[in-house]
Amino acid sequence: MTSKEKIQQEIEQTLQCLDGAKRAEANPFLFTRIKARMDRKANVWERSFSFISKPAIAVAIVVMVMAVNGWALWDNSGTIEPITTADPNVSELANEYNVVASVDNYDYENLTNE
Amino acid sequence: MINETELIEQLKQGDETAFKTIVEQWKDMVYNTILGIVQNETEAEDLAQDVFIKVFEKISTFKGDSKFSTWLYRIATTTALDHLRSKKRKKRFGFLQSLGGDGDEKESIPDFHHPGISLDNKERAAVLFKAIDGLPENQKTAYTLHKLEGLSYRDVSEVLNTTVSAVESLMSRANQNLRKQLEEYYNKHYK
Repeated sequence: MTSKEKIQQEIEQTLQCLDGAKRAEANPFLFTRIKARMDRKANVWERSFSFISKPAIAVAIVVMVMAVNGWALWDNSGTIEPITTADPNVSELANEYNVVASVDNYDYENLTNE
Repeated sequence: MINETELIEQLKQGDETAFKTIVEQWKDMVYNTILGIVQNETEAEDLAQDVFIKVFEKISTFKGDSKFSTWLYRIATTTALDHLRSKKRKKRFGFLQSLGGDGDEKESIPDFHHPGISLDNKERAAVLFKAIDGLPENQKTAYTLHKLEGLSYRDVSEVLNTTVSAVESLMSRANQNLRKQLEEYYNKHYK
């Protein structure tokens, strides 16, 4: 028998070696492990939900959110100044290309008339 | 003994006893399918747990259009293939990291020994499993379901949601690819 034939024989035998293979058996405690995982998962949700839904915690969260909003409004009131002039560089560029660069004046009629 | 339909109805109601019966009845089938695809016993056990948790959570979506076992095979094969994809992604990321750093360690994949193979075929089967691992996903799934789970081409086609002739073609291509890989292996190792 030549080596090529021997190799072909090996290939055939290898391809047939799964014939009659038995089914691998799962862990006998698989259900217990699944149950434990599901309980752990449920516990995490339960614990976080029960913590958030405690009246004291819920009220504290609402008060905190309102306080942060109030502070943000108070902090920003009067600090925002309207921009009345455009950047000189931008104006220059706009003039060069014949474009209105003002941010507070959208005078479309005059623009089209020009 | 409760029949399959009743069992599924009870599981839809969240019955734990029904769930336990389902796990006990189908755990070997799920585990063996996953093991054939991922070729690692620890990972296969974790994934089998994932499959049954999915079954518990998604049983309401099972309409009974196909057999329950077909539905279960679909979840098992999808879960196993998803796992392999994410493992491959991590490996690629690890490779990129090793290019930039201290990684000159090359991971060698250990031989996989399926517990259902007889001792005298063990080494031969390890060679075959390595070749199966190199098959494209759909060929690997069809081959595993047919060879390890003993499903007919019709059953495989139902799991893969395709036609019998498509499965025949998948199996023929899988055999061709395996022959090619085995020929390379034996040319290198056979003296």
